[in-house]
Amino acid sequence: MRIVGFVLVAVLLLSCEPGLSPPPGVEPGFGGTIVFQKGTWPPADSLFNLWVFASQIYPLDSTKVFEGLFADPPAIYLYPAIDQNIPFFVDSLSYAFSLPPASYRYVGVLQRFASEINVRSLRVVGVYGTNDDPPLPIPVIVSESQFVGGVNIRVNFHKLPPQPF
Amino acid sequence: MALVLIWMMRSVAQVTSGTITGTITDAETGQAVVGANVLIRGTFIGSATNIHGGFRLSRVPPRMYAVLVSMIGYERLTVEKVGVAAGESVTLNLKLRSVPIQTEQVVITASRREQSLQEVPVSIATVTAKVIADRNTVTIDDALRYVPGVNLLQDQVNVRGSTGYSRGVGSRVLLLLDGVPFITGDTGEINWETIPTHQVERIEVVKGAGSALYGSSALGGVINVITMDAKDSPELRFRLFSGLYDKPRYAEWDWSPHARFNSGAIISYSNTAGPVTYLVSLSRTVDESFRQNDAYHRWSFYSKAKYNISSFRSLTVSANFLSRTHGNFFWWKSLREATKPADPQLNGKVTSRRGNVSLSYKEFVSDRFFYTVKGIYFGNFWRDDSAGRVNNVSAAHLFNLDMQATYNISESNVLTFGLAGNFDQVNANLFGTHPGVGGAAYAQDELALTSEVKLTAGLRFDWQKVSVLKSTAELNPKLGAVYMPDKETSIRASFGSGFRYPAIGELYITSSTNVSQVVVLPNTDLSVERSVSYEVGISRQFGQSVFADLAVFSNDFRNLIEPSVQIKRYRPYPSSPTEVEGPVIQFENVTKARIQGMEATVKTDWWKKYFSTDLGYTYIWPLDVNENTILKFRPRHILYASAFITYDELRASADFRYISRIERIDENLIRLAPIVNGEQRVPIKVVDIRTSYDLLRFGLPVRVGFNVNNLLNYHYVELVGNLGPVRTYTLSIDGVL
Repeated sequence: MRIVGFVLVAVLLLSCEPGLSPPPGVEPGFGGTIVFQKGTWPPADSLFNLWVFASQIYPLDSTKVFEGLFADPPAIYLYPAIDQNIPFFVDSLSYAFSLPPASYRYVGVLQRFASEINVRSLRVVGVYGTNDDPPLPIPVIVSESQFVGGVNIRVNFHKLPPQPF
Repeated sequence: MALVLIWMMRSVAQVTSGTITGTITDAETGQAVVGANVLIRGTFIGSATNIHGGFRLSRVPPRMYAVLVSMIGYERLTVEKVGVAAGESVTLNLKLRSVPIQTEQVVITASRREQSLQEVPVSIATVTAKVIADRNTVTIDDALRYVPGVNLLQDQVNVRGSTGYSRGVGSRVLLLLDGVPFITGDTGEINWETIPTHQVERIEVVKGAGSALYGSSALGGVINVITMDAKDSPELRFRLFSGLYDKPRYAEWDWSPHARFNSGAIISYSNTAGPVTYLVSLSRTVDESFRQNDAYHRWSFYSKAKYNISSFRSLTVSANFLSRTHGNFFWWKSLREATKPADPQLNGKVTSRRGNVSLSYKEFVSDRFFYTVKGIYFGNFWRDDSAGRVNNVSAAHLFNLDMQATYNISESNVLTFGLAGNFDQVNANLFGTHPGVGGAAYAQDELALTSEVKLTAGLRFDWQKVSVLKSTAELNPKLGAVYMPDKETSIRASFGSGFRYPAIGELYITSSTNVSQVVVLPNTDLSVERSVSYEVGISRQFGQSVFADLAVFSNDFRNLIEPSVQIKRYRPYPSSPTEVEGPVIQFENVTKARIQGMEATVKTDWWKKYFSTDLGYTYIWPLDVNENTILKFRPRHILYASAFITYDELRASADFRYISRIERIDENLIRLAPIVNGEQRVPIKVVDIRTSYDLLRFGLPVRVGFNVNNLLNYHYVELVGNLGPVRTYTLSIDGVL
């Protein structure tokens, strides 16, 4: 019986902690939904990579792309990592992009459509922007402990936004 | 006219048959034993003793019989050579000796026939209807949460570490419904909600590979859900319950301004009409859930009828139908918003219609030989909708047939053999249209070398063909031995093998929907999963108060199929001329594993059983042999502790479960899905308490119960990105009229 009593007390002591709890702050970043215009996906052989990008630099030009990507700390971030892709041939997807607090002045979706790795093989296929035609980029300001939602991007591979390169 | 016919038949029956009557009393106190089962061996003639301990077995054909008497807490009694003559009555006044509960517990799953728990060469646990009712169990998986060696990853059952993360697809634990496989035809998973919880008599959990008797999916264990027979006198049962979810500890998780409830009503009626006993049941359950977009509404209907064609032949038919609508909650938005789903799931829901019809025919050819033919059809239809648009639709039909014979060659030798077959047809936009067909033959011999030593040997051959894929064949043996040096001790050893054919869903799934946000690809090259189990164990009853069981086990698994997340080149659609590269999920034979461990169970009864305790501890060492590290999604320690108090009409109990923190998860899944904060997990430490009071002494055939689940409002995950239920208060009323 002593053993039973000991077990009961041990059980209660073990259980007095709360377990999981919300993190004290939010991991900074932004997220939302990317909607791909149906019927506009390019042939599979032109989809070498597809990322969400967030650039603190705007306007962007050819010389600043790789400089921004490989700077320390970077000025341009990719989601997912540079050797990975967001899914192809889907109608839409949600994403959650964690990155350092900063003002990201140019946010969109970037495609690598040729095998060589240079700016000539990259194109912006969607941008987080205004409803104008063509859309103007809307900055996303990420503060410490803040995750910005609703950064929704429309992608129409047949109708590209203005290209920075 | 019909009444006259029935009267004439009864008159003829009375003249051509005899009767056995008598009383059953406690050998020590002399008091009547109420509710004892009295059965004539080799027939369906049986009865339970009334409140005076009396029984009457009528319409007994003239012959020499053996009469069996059993009652929980008493030693089983067999009275041989009871002669019955036409038109005469035989009186048996018998005395039962009380014994500790464990020693006389009867199970059927380990050897496909009734056996005392002591005679079984493998580890087996049972969950009774009383425990299911006390815990206010809504679906059967909840009833398994306190079975030693078993843990659940949400609704995916894991016996001694056999199962990882697959969201239920391709279960490595075989579920049987009254002895017949009950796994869905499309995804090969267990659908718990289809089982009529209120009509379950008991659940038996056999641990370790069991394919030598039951075929595919029995790699890690077998769970047999045994439903109740209808009563032979009118009985109306009902159960009403209403539960309230408490608020989470943190305001960040309190997403709803309203209180969240779950509630349900179950009503069943059973009776006898001539030689037919029947039961019908209807239930309605609504759960608003403590999480957003996780509510469900469910209707279910269940019926069962048993027709005793004669004293030696019976036909049982059961039918079950369920309709449910359930919100989509695959994983949380983030740990900060743990009670909200990720955005793409927010407007999603799954609508399902599931049903089964089963037939079982049993005949005693003699008191040494009987056979059973069982057939079941299990239909599963579901679709998932997102924001009003239908994404996926699946229709799966599954037919299972099992013919089994049991021959008592002698008092010391029992042969069980049979044939089984299955046919599946799946039609789904996720999986395509595919048939599956299979057949099996099995045999098992149990031989008592002496009264202390019993040996078991069995073998099963299975053949299966899925769609256009090449057919596969499997041969699975089992061996077991039990040594009982005295009435209190049983030493066991067993070896068995298991296998699982890949489910149609694992072979053919193809998806580019945004639910998982990752492309899922088919893999028709999947091979059969295999396992080999070894176990030695000892159980002993210490006096009247303590029962202990200790088991050491080792399971080797090969070709384990797991969802693999990786960057891969693939054709985005079948006619695509080129391949692309990206993150994909694909089921693959990725893992070779060795899972070893030990399990200890201690049950105690104190103060004339007013106070009882159960304690179960399982240590698991799940090694991924390929990577020489711990297997993903397996806990290392599982501890369950329960205490029960029974005093007159009052019952109270408390349960504690501890499951150590899952040490390794699939980082790729977390990163690519993505499941924000999906890596967050803690040990599970949950306390449930409950009390109930029987109002029979006030003239009301009603029991009122009150449960508090997760008393300490501990927050945990069983499945990555899925917060476990918060503290819940439930009031229930059970009645029998």
